[in-house]
Amino acid sequence: MKYTLNINQQNHQVDVEAAMPLLWVLRDELNLTGTKFGCGIASCGACTVLLDGKPVRSCSYPVSGAADKKITTIEGIASEAKLSAVQEAWIEHQVPQCGYCQSGMIMATEALLQENPNPSLEEIESAITNICRCGTYSRIRQAILSLAKKVNAADKTQTEKA
Amino acid sequence: MEEKKSKKNKWTRRAFMIAGGVAGTGLLVGIGGLIHVNQTIRYYSGKGLGEGSSLNAWIRIAPDNTITLAIPRVEMGQGSYTGLAMMIAEELEVDMESIRIVHPQPESPYANLFIFAQSETNIFDGYSINEKLFSYLNLVITGGSSSITDGYYNMRYAGATAREMLKKAAAQQWKTDVKNCKAESGFIINQGNQEKLSYGELASAAAKIKVSSTPELKNRKDWKKVGKPVKRLDIPEKVQGKATFGIDVRPENVLYAAFRHPSVLGAKITGFKNKADIEKQAGIKKVVLTEFGAAVIADNTWRAKNAALALQVIEDEKESVKISTASIGKELDILLKKPAFAEHEKEGDVDKVLAEKQKTIIQAQYEVPYLAHATMEPLNCTVLVKDDAVDVWLGHQASSTVRNAVSKVSKMDASKIMIHMQYLGGGFGRRGEADFVKIATAVAMQMKGTPVMTVFTREEDMRNDVYRPAVKCEFKALVQKDGTIEAWDHKLALQSVVHETMKRAEPPLSISVKDDTATTEGARELPYEMKNRRVSFGNLVVPVKVGFWRSVGSSQNAFFTECFMDECAHAAGIDPYQFRLSKLDKAPRFKKVLQKVAEMSHWNKALAKDRYRGIALHKCFGSIVGQVVEITKLGEKEFSIDKFYCVVDCGTYINPDSVKAQMESGIIFGLSAALFGEITWQDGKVQQSNFPQYDMIRLKASPEIETYIIENEEFPGGVGEPGTPPAAPALANALFAATGVRERSLPLVKLGYKFV
Repeated sequence: MKYTLNINQQNHQVDVEAAMPLLWVLRDELNLTGTKFGCGIASCGACTVLLDGKPVRSCSYPVSGAADKKITTIEGIASEAKLSAVQEAWIEHQVPQCGYCQSGMIMATEALLQENPNPSLEEIESAITNICRCGTYSRIRQAILSLAKKVNAADKTQTEKA
Repeated sequence: MEEKKSKKNKWTRRAFMIAGGVAGTGLLVGIGGLIHVNQTIRYYSGKGLGEGSSLNAWIRIAPDNTITLAIPRVEMGQGSYTGLAMMIAEELEVDMESIRIVHPQPESPYANLFIFAQSETNIFDGYSINEKLFSYLNLVITGGSSSITDGYYNMRYAGATAREMLKKAAAQQWKTDVKNCKAESGFIINQGNQEKLSYGELASAAAKIKVSSTPELKNRKDWKKVGKPVKRLDIPEKVQGKATFGIDVRPENVLYAAFRHPSVLGAKITGFKNKADIEKQAGIKKVVLTEFGAAVIADNTWRAKNAALALQVIEDEKESVKISTASIGKELDILLKKPAFAEHEKEGDVDKVLAEKQKTIIQAQYEVPYLAHATMEPLNCTVLVKDDAVDVWLGHQASSTVRNAVSKVSKMDASKIMIHMQYLGGGFGRRGEADFVKIATAVAMQMKGTPVMTVFTREEDMRNDVYRPAVKCEFKALVQKDGTIEAWDHKLALQSVVHETMKRAEPPLSISVKDDTATTEGARELPYEMKNRRVSFGNLVVPVKVGFWRSVGSSQNAFFTECFMDECAHAAGIDPYQFRLSKLDKAPRFKKVLQKVAEMSHWNKALAKDRYRGIALHKCFGSIVGQVVEITKLGEKEFSIDKFYCVVDCGTYINPDSVKAQMESGIIFGLSAALFGEITWQDGKVQQSNFPQYDMIRLKASPEIETYIIENEEFPGGVGEPGTPPAAPALANALFAATGVRERSLPLVKLGYKFV
C-alpha cells in the first residue's frame, strides 16, 4: 500500500503493508531513528510519537491509521534555532543516562503539556507511564514540575497585568 | 599526597604516556628513552580518530582547535565519557565545549587494568603482577564500576603530558624558556609578552616532541573542572533523538535480521520446514541457519521479526535440559545441607560457639531468583563482512571482546576488523558478553558484502540472557543481649558467575570456582565487629547461563546480610541503626556514612502515622553507600515508597552530578528487582518474555531520592553499581518495621505486596 505520511510537517511517500507499525516505517523505511524500539507490545513507551498531538506507542500502531494525521517525532519538536521547552528542561535537569528511552519520555511529556500545560504531580505520574531502565524518574518528575512552575509563573504575571 | 614515588622493580605506567606522538594516523613510536617491557602497550593506530595530530593515544588536536579525545570506556548512561574527558581537560587546560569524543579501536594503551587487578594502592605507581598479566591480555572493558578508578591517574597524565608537549612546542617557536609558557583554555601564553598560540597551531610541532620526565599533575586545590558539576557531553544529542545507538546505525544497503534461539536450553536448530515459503514473503532476503540458531534477513526489522516467528524450525533436543525453577531450588537446598565447597572468610571458631549455645541461635534462610538485564535497547549488532575486512557497528562494554569474537567467527585477522562503537542503550553487564556479536557475525557471513543488523526482539533478549544467579543462603548467628555478635555463619549456594563468564569470554580465561570471590562479594568483609565469623558457599552447576548483573554478588548478598543484621538487632531489642553503629568503631568511613544518612533522614525523630523506614549500609566497587527508605502503609500489603535518603563515600569524585545520578539509577534498578524481578524456568524454557511478566518501576511508584556525597581525598571508588545493593534490604527492613513480618525472599509482588 502506498501512503503519504506527514511527519514533522514534511510529506513522505512510503509503500508498505497496511499493518506495518508506524515505528518500523519511521525507523527502517525513512531512517528516522530517534524513535526507539523497546518492547514491540506498547508496554515500555520508548516508541512514543504524537499523532495530531496525542501520544501513541508507534510499535503497535499500524501505519494505515497514521496516514491522515500529523505525525510528530522527537526529530520534529525543536525549531532550527531552538530546542523545545521540554528538551531544555531535560538538559537543565540532566535527565538522560543511557538515553534510549528518553525520546519516548520527551514525546509523552510534550503530549501531556500540550493537553495540560500546568499538570499536578498526580497528573504527571498518571500520564507518564514509560519505562526508564536507568531509573531517571526523579529527574523526569523535577523537569516536568519545573515546566509546570514556569507556566504558573507566566499565568501569574498575566493575571497581574490584567 | 597526589604523587607517590614509583616502586622499585615495577614498570612505570607513566612510561607509555611519556612518548612522542605522531601526526595523523600511524603507529606511535619511541618511548622517550624510558624502557617499557610490554611491547604491545606502546601501540595504537589512531584509526577513526579523525583529523589532527596525536599527542598521545588519547588526545588529537586539529588545526581548527578541535580537541578529539579517544575515550576507550563506553557511554551507557553512567557518564564516563564526560568524567574521563573532564580529567584530561583539567590537565590539558581546555574547555569542555571544545571537546569531541570518539571511541578508539581496542588497542593496548586502552586496556582496563584496574577491573581485574583491583590494586588501588599502586595502580599509578607501576604494574603489580596482576596488572602485568592483564596488560598482555589487552582487555578494553567498561564494567566493574572501574572507568573513573582506572582512569584517575591515566587520564590526568594523558592531559598533563600533552600540555607539556604543547608548552615545549610554543617555547621552541618563541625561542624562550618553557617556564615562561602557560597553558590556558586551549592556548599557550607567553607570560613575558602575552603572545598566544592556539593548541591547533602548535599541535603538529608538539606531536614531534619527546617528553623525558613525568609531568606534574595539578594540585587538587587548583582543579577547575574535576569535582565540580559539569553538564554531560552526551545529553544534548540524547534529548534530540540524534544520539546513535547500535540499533540506529544505517550503513548503506543495510539489511535487518531477526534471530531465533533454540526454544529449549541445550537444544539446537538443525533445519526448517517452511524455508521456501518464508523466503517468498515480501521483503525477505534469506533464511539462514547458524551454529547458534536461525535468522531471517529482510529489508525491514518488522518483516524480519514476523517471518522469524512464522519460521517453523526443526530442533534437535538430544542434549536439551528440561530444567525448572523447582528443580534448581531443590539443588540449592541440598548444597546448603552439604559441607561448603569453599570458605571465603573465617575468623575464630564459629562452629564451637554455635555448638555451645544452640538454644539462642538466630537462624534464617533467604533466597532470590534469577534476574534478567532487560536493557532498554534490545541486543543488536551490525556486521559487514567483506573479502578482506569486517566492519562492526554496535554498543558493547568490551571492544576487545567484540574484536576477538568477530575474528573467531569470521576467521578474519583481528587487525582487519574495524569497530564502530555507538552509544549503549543500557549495559548493566549484559553488553559485555560475546554471544550477540558472534551470532550477528555468523548471520552476516551468509550475506557477504552487505551490512546486516541482527536484532533480538525483546522476547529473544529476555529468554536468552545471562542471568544474575538464583541464590539461597542460610544464616546462623549468636547475638548477646548487649548486641555483641558472638558468631556469624553465612552459607550461600549459587552458580559461579566469574568462572562461567570467563570460560565463555573472548579470549577465554580461567578462574577456579573456589577463587570466584564474586560469589561471596558483599557477604564477606562486612565492616561490623563480630567475634567469630565464617562466610562460605556451595557451588551450583546447572546449564543456565549466569553473568555480571549490575553490582554482581552484592546485588543479592547485601539483601541477605543487611536484612539479617536487622534480624539480629531485633533479636537483641536494639534499634537497627544503633545496632549497626555500635559495631563500626574500627571502620570510620562506614561509620561516617551511616551517621550521615541517619542525620539526613532524622532517624531519631518519630515518623507520621503509617509511615515507616528501613536502613542499609553496603560497600562494593570501592564505595560505601548508606540508604534510608521511608514508606507509607496504605493497606495490609499496600505501600508507597516515598523517599530514599542516600549517602555515598566514593572517595575523590570527578563529576558530583553524575555520582548523584548513579545513586538514583542504582536505587531504582535495585527496587525494580526487589519488587518485580524474577526469571523462572519450566521444562528448560524461560517463562517470562516481555515487560508485562518482567515489570519495572515506573514514574508513579518511584521514590523521591536525596543524595549526599561525603567529602574526602581518598582514591576514587566506582559509582555505577554501589547504589543498587542497599535498596532492596532498606525496603525489606522498612516493610518489617511496618508489618512485623520479615520477608526473606524476592520479588515482593510475588509475596502479595503492592506498591503504588
